[in-house]
Amino acid sequence: MTDRFSASRLLLLAGIAGFSMLTSSISLAQQPPGMSPIDKSNPAASKQDGNLKPHATPPVATPVEKIPVDKLKLPTGFKAEIWSHGHPGGRTMVQGDKGTVFMGSRIIGRVYAITEKDGKRDVKILLQGLTQPNGLAFRNGSLYVFAINRVLRYDNIESKLDNPGDPVELTKEFNLPPEIHHNWKYAAFGPDGKLYIQVGANCNICEINPGVHGQIRRYNADGSGMEIVARGVRNTVGFDWHPVTKELWFTDNGRDWAGDAGPQDELNRIAKGQEGANYGFPYCHANGIPDPDIKKPNACAGVVMPAALTGPHTAGLGIIFYTGSMFPKTYQNVAFIARRGSWNKSQKTGYDVIVARTNGGSAKLEPFLTGLLDDKKNEFYGRPTYIMQMKDGSLLVSDEQNGATYRISYAGKQ
Amino acid sequence: MNCVRPHWRPLALALAAALSFAGFAAAQNMPLAERIEQCKGCHGEDGNSRLEKIPSLAGQPEFFVMNQLVLMREGVRRVEPMTPFVKELKDPDIFALARHFASLPPKRSDEPVDPVLARRGAEIAAARRCASCHLPTLAGQEQMPRLAGQRIDYLIAAMKSYLDDTRTGADTAMTASIVGLSEADITALAHYAASR
Repeated sequence: MTDRFSASRLLLLAGIAGFSMLTSSISLAQQPPGMSPIDKSNPAASKQDGNLKPHATPPVATPVEKIPVDKLKLPTGFKAEIWSHGHPGGRTMVQGDKGTVFMGSRIIGRVYAITEKDGKRDVKILLQGLTQPNGLAFRNGSLYVFAINRVLRYDNIESKLDNPGDPVELTKEFNLPPEIHHNWKYAAFGPDGKLYIQVGANCNICEINPGVHGQIRRYNADGSGMEIVARGVRNTVGFDWHPVTKELWFTDNGRDWAGDAGPQDELNRIAKGQEGANYGFPYCHANGIPDPDIKKPNACAGVVMPAALTGPHTAGLGIIFYTGSMFPKTYQNVAFIARRGSWNKSQKTGYDVIVARTNGGSAKLEPFLTGLLDDKKNEFYGRPTYIMQMKDGSLLVSDEQNGATYRISYAGKQ
Repeated sequence: MNCVRPHWRPLALALAAALSFAGFAAAQNMPLAERIEQCKGCHGEDGNSRLEKIPSLAGQPEFFVMNQLVLMREGVRRVEPMTPFVKELKDPDIFALARHFASLPPKRSDEPVDPVLARRGAEIAAARRCASCHLPTLAGQEQMPRLAGQRIDYLIAAMKSYLDDTRTGADTAMTASIVGLSEADITALAHYAASR
């Protein structure tokens, strides 16, 4: 084992020094520049149950009568109903100008198109066989699809849902790193018209090349003009802009195998003028916790602290700021965050939607949608992943585990 | 399943060719028993493969078999020789096949296991935390396959394809778990798994 570790370090140094040719005399698997050498977590030190494992995501839909909509609990005046179902693995959602809801997925490799007619939803498999097409964005009639290894643009897509045809391939233009772990994408257009995406750390915990991994980036819509807007970000797969300040807020998933207690996941803000700031990975986590496995002096010096901690292993994914008119005024400009729920923790946590009330650079959290986790049985019934605001001000919440979405509406007093 | 590769044993080659050219591989309403007959040609009479680089399916977790068949049907996991067998499968066919293979008793591969390599593989497996997903017995669970007793040549080929990112459709956690391992390391892991 010693040989492998020292060889890895050598490769890392070579990568940072900018050597692109890695010697093949070292008997290692191919390691492109920026490839992190190894997960450095220490299983013994974490004192965690060694049998924790990621939960399986069914590649087939839950029958509608078994979708756990009756378990959902919301504040007084709100109600939940099944809006769509039969789209296994459906996660991210964006809406086209003509009302089509496009839905991305991970392992099942599909992009769905959901249309509404006479109060009923029709679910279509728009694209399939892609490698984790989680990143979707819509602009000027075009659907942008970010798979791990490809970037595609389907122009005028809403008039050809039955036969989307060949896309404009933008893979070369975006030139994303080839490593796949933590590299399913989240994508969104910012208020500046730029296309924002992330490049996650391609490991649980390891040294990364900060020039390549652990970033949020923005591009022109054609893939040119790349800029790094945040560094040291382990794995964000959800962000949105505050409707008033126009600052970017993002969720970030903390590392695993450092204990049941965390380090906690984060809700972060990129303050105006602080584009390119460092959020700490891999040396500093949560609100200033140095990493137990990858150490350096003053690990948290210069690191932007989170606006709020969102719980250990809760997996905050989708976030949106509410700007609709349906919900009470107290929800105006607050953030809703979908927490997909833990795997690397003995007592499960998350599996809900929370509210984050922001104030400058901090945020207060409160529960919103609960009921999908049974604490006593330590079982979950669904996994909220992303949230989308509908034109009428209701919210759609996708449940990846059940291949369904829930529509959250408000009918109480304003 | 790689039955149509040129270096494949003539028997397997002929069988796969016969099955796919006959067209009944794609038949939509084929009874389960007939579908299982098709699988036997490569994956073994009892679901335990005796053919190079063909995985044993006996005793695999039901969810794992179901998941992989769906992903192959979707074109996410691309295993060319499997395409004619999976492309028309409906969900109920897939559920039945998964139940069937999960119910078969697994047998250890007939390849010789090198005990020295197996011991080294055990050390690497501990460092890479293989047991947290595949269980200490390596029997697998849910979406994670049984590795115990699996064919050594198949395991090496599978891990190689994770290392060079040619196996799509898996959770990327597997790629992250073995990143940086050498060919000698994955060979040792394969011997360890086969010995379980």
